[in-house]
Amino acid sequence: MAQDGNPFPNKESILLPWLQTLGEMWLNLAKAVPPNSDTALKTQTVIQNRFTEQLQTNLNLMKSLSLMMSQPESASAAANSVNALPEILLKMAKSGFDAAIQIQNHMIEKAGRIGKRTEAYNFDNLDQEIFRALTDVYEKELRQYLKIPPLGLTRFYQERFNAMLDKHNLFETTLAEFLSILYLPMEKSFKIFQEKLNQMAEEGSLPKDTKESYAMWLKILEGHYMSLFKSKDYTDALHRTLGNLEDFIIARDQALNDILQFLPVVTHKDLDDLYREFYDLKKRVKALEKQMEVSPNTLKTATRP
Amino acid sequence: MNSTKIPLDLILERLAQDAEKAQQRVSKASDVLLGELNYELASTPYEIVYSEDRVRVKHYFRNENVENPLKAPLLVVYALINRETMLDLQPDRSVVKTFLDGGIDLYMVDWGYPKRKDRFQTIDDHVNGYMNNIVDFLRQKHNIRKINLMGICMGGTFCVMYSALHPEKIKNLITTVTPTNFDTDKGLLHVWMKDIDVDRMVRTFGNIPGDLMNFGFLLLNPARLMIDKYVGFIENMDNKDFVENFVRMERWIFDSPDVPGETFRQFVEDCYQKNLLIQNKMFLGGRRVDLRNLTMPLLNFFGEYDHLVPPPACDRLSAAVGSKDVEDVCLETGHIGIYVSSRFQRLFAPKIVRWLKERDAQETPLTKLQRSNPPAASPPKKKPAAKRKRVAISKNPKAPRKSPTKTKSAKKSPVRKGKLTLIEKIAQAI
Repeated sequence: MAQDGNPFPNKESILLPWLQTLGEMWLNLAKAVPPNSDTALKTQTVIQNRFTEQLQTNLNLMKSLSLMMSQPESASAAANSVNALPEILLKMAKSGFDAAIQIQNHMIEKAGRIGKRTEAYNFDNLDQEIFRALTDVYEKELRQYLKIPPLGLTRFYQERFNAMLDKHNLFETTLAEFLSILYLPMEKSFKIFQEKLNQMAEEGSLPKDTKESYAMWLKILEGHYMSLFKSKDYTDALHRTLGNLEDFIIARDQALNDILQFLPVVTHKDLDDLYREFYDLKKRVKALEKQMEVSPNTLKTATRP
Repeated sequence: MNSTKIPLDLILERLAQDAEKAQQRVSKASDVLLGELNYELASTPYEIVYSEDRVRVKHYFRNENVENPLKAPLLVVYALINRETMLDLQPDRSVVKTFLDGGIDLYMVDWGYPKRKDRFQTIDDHVNGYMNNIVDFLRQKHNIRKINLMGICMGGTFCVMYSALHPEKIKNLITTVTPTNFDTDKGLLHVWMKDIDVDRMVRTFGNIPGDLMNFGFLLLNPARLMIDKYVGFIENMDNKDFVENFVRMERWIFDSPDVPGETFRQFVEDCYQKNLLIQNKMFLGGRRVDLRNLTMPLLNFFGEYDHLVPPPACDRLSAAVGSKDVEDVCLETGHIGIYVSSRFQRLFAPKIVRWLKERDAQETPLTKLQRSNPPAASPPKKKPAAKRKRVAISKNPKAPRKSPTKTKSAKKSPVRKGKLTLIEKIAQAI
């Protein structure tokens, strides 16, 4: 069994011969290429010469690297870095797994509450915990990966692309919540309708035909929708969904703008700047036309459609 | 056991009957749907007499043989949401046709389809720009000082603003389902608009997409507009006339131009959120919109069951204007039922024709000096005690009226009892 929980106790002994073999292989390969052969010089162009030189330099570099890595201290450091990779991947998988478990727990809790969610014609304090949980899970467990600060020349592009993914995910979760709220009156109306039918069956006055039943259900449904639409929870969810949609569209446009900049096409931003100038200019022209009593009617002859 | 067995038998029997009927209907419906259908709307002939940017003015050909035709033309201004074709939906339900038969020289603004380049256009550009240019064009064309103006919904609000800023050019003002007081929680739109982040919406979309607004309107009554409407269609799809009218209505509803972003922003911020118009605190092009400048006769229609623009959003206008001749008419219908319901077709447009004819005095011709230098709006005078009328026109004369007074016209209103058609149901739902 490995000491200190290390799964590869003899990593140095495995790595050393492998690195030595690798070093020798590069060395032999470098020797196999004739550096200044006469025939080669006659047929090679300047560019080809540069290529051979570059190859030789790279092979020599590899040779040095292999030899250096064959030293026991270097091999140990490399092996440690390789060991760290699965740990990172494991950590990522763990947070994903935790998120899935959390969602599942909420789903199980929700399943136990089906039918008890709200009272008829009352849409205050809606049970939207499952969607809050989804948003929560996303914000706490997954969002962090999109928030890792990008580095280098393309950092701003990467940042905007990540923002687009982030806003899209947030919009999806709020949309799911909104659609679920929209479905609530359906759920309730069926329940009330069923209760009403039972009551009518007991009284012996069931609807005469499906049309009558449908009209009865529709009236219940309409009443539920009217109650829902006046509730604060619904208005809040509507504004939240609209807000997240807008955030996503803004982020999407910014990311797309980055891509479009590399293409020979005009972006919305360019056009909007132009439209603004065009609008201001047109206002000035119209004011001048008014002063000079020139009709803005561009129609020269009346035409029939 | 018996109590459950009998209904079950009945239910099964009814289901079998329904299935048989449905089969027959589907078979007939396939003939209708695969056959030739005429669902063109706005078929009344017209000519375009004015064009500026995306905006055009339609001129309809009135019946010249009609007795006592109106001298002053009528300009109809529709909202920026949906299209003016609603006034000419089908030949037997056309407000346009009734106006022409009544002797009105009719012009209608077609706002066109705003593009992204129009996103910076404000309410001022529409009211003091396009509308003012069109009114001046008509005054010159007819050689008159004043024209009649009629506005629908948001177009009505524009007409109120215009008439307050240019009262010297308007002879009579008709507002229909026109919101002027936005501080009410009766309409869902008023509730939802209160906290909307309009700035972010405009930044996101540029122009507000018509489809987005249509989705919002569908959400106002999903049971009727997303379920019942199509159930009704399936039930009647073997009826050619019904299918044609239904498709016309669908074409109109979903023909929704985008709204210029800055206009939307100003409308939501100044009207829905701050309610500036009714308080005489709104500014357009640097000028204050003072409703006391509305000294011309005013006829104000609204729908009692209007979910979009409820009565409290409309009925405060008559008390805020400076005119002595004001009439409120409350119809027992929804937002578009006033225009497309066959029941109200016989009340609404003929009432406007009569009202305009009663006020159609001899016109003073427009002189050269007046053309170039129209008299400025006189400062608001102290409002004289106005004699106002409020009329409620009901589909059921026995139904209790909410209006404080009943007038002769209310009693005269034709009444028809019976089943609502699907189109009327949709009209009421909207």
